[in-house]
Amino acid sequence: MYLPDFDYYAPESLTEATGLLMQLGTSARVLAGGTDILVKMKSGLLAPSALVSLKNLHELRRIRWDADRGLAIGALATHNEICNSAVVQEHFLSLSEAAHKLANNQIRNRGTIGGNLVNAIPSADLPPILIALGAYVTLAGPNSSRTVPVESFFTGVSRCALEPEREILTEVVIPPQKTTGSTYIKFGLRRSGALAVVGVAAAVTMDGNVVRDARICLGAVYKVPTRAIQAEQVLIGKTWTNDLLEQAGRTAVGCCLPISDIRGSAEYRRDLVRIFTRRALKRAITQGHV
Amino acid sequence: MSQPTPAGLKSSARTYTHPGLPEPADKDYAVIGKSKPKIDAREKVTGQARYTADLKFPNMLYGKILTSPHAHARILSIDTSEAEKIPGVKAVITHKDVPTLKYGISPARWDENIFCIETVKFVGDKVAAVACIDEETCYKALKAIKVEYEVLPAVLDPLHAMDEDAPQIHPEYPLNKNTEIHQNFGDVDEAFRQADYVRTDMFVGNRTYQAPMEPHTATSIWQGGKLTVYSSTQSPHYFQYYIAREFGLPMGDVRVIKTYVGGGFGGKLEPTGLEFAGAVLARLTGRPVKMFYDRAEMFAHNRGRHRQYMKLTTGVNADGRILGVHADFIMDGGAYTSLGIATAYYAGAMLTLTYDFENYRFDMNRVYTNLPACGAQRGHGAPQPRYAFEAHLDNIAKDLDIDPLEIRLRNARKPNTITPNEFVVNSCEMVACLEQARDISGWADKKGKLPAGRGIGVATGSFVSGAGYPIYRTDLPHAAAMIKVAEDGTAATLYTGATDIGQGSDTVLCQMAAEAMGYTYEQMKIVAADTETTPHDFGAYASRQTLMSGAAVKEAGDEVRKQLLEMAGEMVDLPPERLSVRLGRISAKDNPEITLTFEEAARTFFVQKGPLMGRGSYAPPKLGGKHKGAPVGTSPAYSFAAQVSEVEIDEETGEVAVLDVWDVHDCGQVINPALLHAQVHGALYMGMGESIWEEVRFDAKGKIQNPTLGEYRLPTALDMPRIHSSLVPSYEIAGPWGVKEVGEGATLPTMGCFRNAIFDAMGISVNSLPLTPEKVWAALREKRKANGEDIWDPMACECFLE
Repeated sequence: MYLPDFDYYAPESLTEATGLLMQLGTSARVLAGGTDILVKMKSGLLAPSALVSLKNLHELRRIRWDADRGLAIGALATHNEICNSAVVQEHFLSLSEAAHKLANNQIRNRGTIGGNLVNAIPSADLPPILIALGAYVTLAGPNSSRTVPVESFFTGVSRCALEPEREILTEVVIPPQKTTGSTYIKFGLRRSGALAVVGVAAAVTMDGNVVRDARICLGAVYKVPTRAIQAEQVLIGKTWTNDLLEQAGRTAVGCCLPISDIRGSAEYRRDLVRIFTRRALKRAITQGHV
Repeated sequence: MSQPTPAGLKSSARTYTHPGLPEPADKDYAVIGKSKPKIDAREKVTGQARYTADLKFPNMLYGKILTSPHAHARILSIDTSEAEKIPGVKAVITHKDVPTLKYGISPARWDENIFCIETVKFVGDKVAAVACIDEETCYKALKAIKVEYEVLPAVLDPLHAMDEDAPQIHPEYPLNKNTEIHQNFGDVDEAFRQADYVRTDMFVGNRTYQAPMEPHTATSIWQGGKLTVYSSTQSPHYFQYYIAREFGLPMGDVRVIKTYVGGGFGGKLEPTGLEFAGAVLARLTGRPVKMFYDRAEMFAHNRGRHRQYMKLTTGVNADGRILGVHADFIMDGGAYTSLGIATAYYAGAMLTLTYDFENYRFDMNRVYTNLPACGAQRGHGAPQPRYAFEAHLDNIAKDLDIDPLEIRLRNARKPNTITPNEFVVNSCEMVACLEQARDISGWADKKGKLPAGRGIGVATGSFVSGAGYPIYRTDLPHAAAMIKVAEDGTAATLYTGATDIGQGSDTVLCQMAAEAMGYTYEQMKIVAADTETTPHDFGAYASRQTLMSGAAVKEAGDEVRKQLLEMAGEMVDLPPERLSVRLGRISAKDNPEITLTFEEAARTFFVQKGPLMGRGSYAPPKLGGKHKGAPVGTSPAYSFAAQVSEVEIDEETGEVAVLDVWDVHDCGQVINPALLHAQVHGALYMGMGESIWEEVRFDAKGKIQNPTLGEYRLPTALDMPRIHSSLVPSYEIAGPWGVKEVGEGATLPTMGCFRNAIFDAMGISVNSLPLTPEKVWAALREKRKANGEDIWDPMACECFLE
């Protein structure tokens, strides 16, 4: 566990940062919190020759609400900043709650939303709620930038749509929406500092007791965070009942393919998907906030 | 109500009266019994305290050990030539450069070499070491050492280690049997014949690791022919003894110094290999060498809790009185002995303490496997068998329709009794502990009346207050102490070999010194755990220091007080027996007008007679029976504890939330209540971790899957229940002021207590540790299936993914 040698850059502007990435090529990595990459470097899983720190790009730390665009969170916002942000809590309290469920306090103080997404592990706590809320990310290159829905951002375990030798994830945007309730709940093996064994986010648009729209996203049970579309279809247009939610939970199990590992067997995870999908839906429907 | 004793069968313990001093009527103590702040609290919270890894010496080198990537392999060749060429590499050593004398901590089975010679026996076994100008160069050098292995079949399953066709790990120990025990007391077969009910249960314990916050570190320095080792250790004495033995040095030429230690819990009692390799590297280079393990290397070095397979059979009469017990265990020892012989004996020996039964058989095989060696962890071999027995007893109580607390009260050990395996128990408030735990937990209002998903359980525990015999055979006293009063009497320094590893022995021993001297705690200084400047003590293990080191300190303090009062008597012209001293004030017992300060008398003493000093030492009386293994588990005194816990189970996920734990301890006279309750909290925390979360896991090739604090899940503060730590009045005749142990005892009842609470809540028995949510979930599903309920199968649903 020893950090290997690397060159360190701390550019003052985004243009300079993307320019550096172009210049350094595939051996460079972005440093945005370091709670994942430094561990990987220490254990020999990654050996980038250069790290480009974003810490001087202060504008990437801002969290803003705009009635047209929605909630825009700079990629460098830490989990605790998201958790404690009044703006986040006012518009998407469930995101604040999800950020609070992530890792432990020390990591929440250092780790950033951008880093969490680009790291792209299946059990990450923020992607499910972001996908359920229809969020997209902005990827800035040297000359242009593009947006990608979080739902299609992940392409595999530790793989995402970002082109690391030229792009930087700069912001996460949750658009304004009619959602009436949302939540993210996870099953971890202790109350702090535990990766999700199963994580489920749900966002619903209710019309009285009728479900007009529903989005469910499952974490830690597939190679990428994944929508449970068939389970959503069980609900849409129906009056909710406990039995209906249970049926949606059972259907959600068919939308994932968990593995057995040291945190739980596939069979256990599948049953947890049923239970947590039902519980997440019930919370989203009844708790009365997004 | 109680049934008559069956004919021809002893059914209750022999009694015994200790010849020591009876309990004093006046316990108006000035310094002990008070929650004094820890003597090193300021240094620790301000960061001033320097731990071994913080020490830096001029020209110091850094050393690392190369370890085996295979669970079992023959070493064909080792080529260090490339490593030696790397700039900054000062020495590379293998088995050819070090003594080949085998070592260990248990003299009956010295089976470790500094570096492996012919075969490596687990992933992490030591092969070579380097000393370099910095840490980074060490890793480059380790990578450059070329070792050629022939991989051998490995023994990873302890249940098959004794098979005829299993690979042999140590040629000297056929069938991989490291320790085989057969003990028989009374007549178990007759007890089972006469019993109204006999039941057998099988339980499995888990491999856990101490996971101390501070990693193992040792810095070795040679000055001429003398070796000094700064080490993160629980026992400077054993380190000194084994280092001297390994290198053929007189003990006087080996100095071991403990600095501040960030926890040990049993894992820092024996030499780690860092001391031996560091000493050789320091000798070769002529420079100080600092060696250390990182977190993953700590897990590989291990010496943590053994995995045990525990079969228990018990015969009781109709009202639940235990007539006889047969314990039949197998223990996964890992690749080496470590402290495992004692662990194996402890596993059976300690089962006789909390309940009174006279017929007992204990069979045990501790087997070698190609996994990291297991050793002593808080509670030593006792916690898992205690879990098994407490669960087993609850099964029996349920079968006989007896309340679990009631069956324990009916069997509880009484004071001044002798166990079937010849342990003399003086003080024992087992009944009072159970009754108080029952009352403060609201047992009567809760048992059988809690809402669905909630349950309450009870369990007991008992532990030694110091081992009756040292680890290697010697007639040295177990503890010794010196006190030197400063020339002007404004301070006194306690010199003790006792080893503070965070538990607070420096604090309580200074309280005890001040109480004995008639001095104040605030004026005490301490020099501890340095084999050159402090008198001998065996160190911090077996919960020994408050009683044993404390007895030596009390004797030293008494000697200071006696000399001081003689001096004061001369000064005020009164016989010393008419004077007393308390908190630094000397006064005449029958004339309050005559007073003198400790400082005045101490200064006059120094002027007239030289240094004012006191000396003390302690050796326990001869303890135990004559059977094989009789010494293990002997102690001058035993603590007793009862725990009640209340849990809430998520009936769908199997998640267990521990809501409250009530721990009631019989630990004799308390020296520092705040530290005592902190020990209970800490021991309970470790017991909890082992109950529900902690488990060292291995892949199919014997490599640890979770050697990190992320995946080896110690509980967090958020997982802790409300803890109610309570005491019963108690006085132990064999201890100074009546003290007994507390540091390990509270780990013992916890695992069984939680299992029993889950059993009460859901009617399911989880028969292996840890009691994970998934195991509870699986047991709940089995129960529903057995009840004929329709269980949805998560594996059989329609899959929508391609």
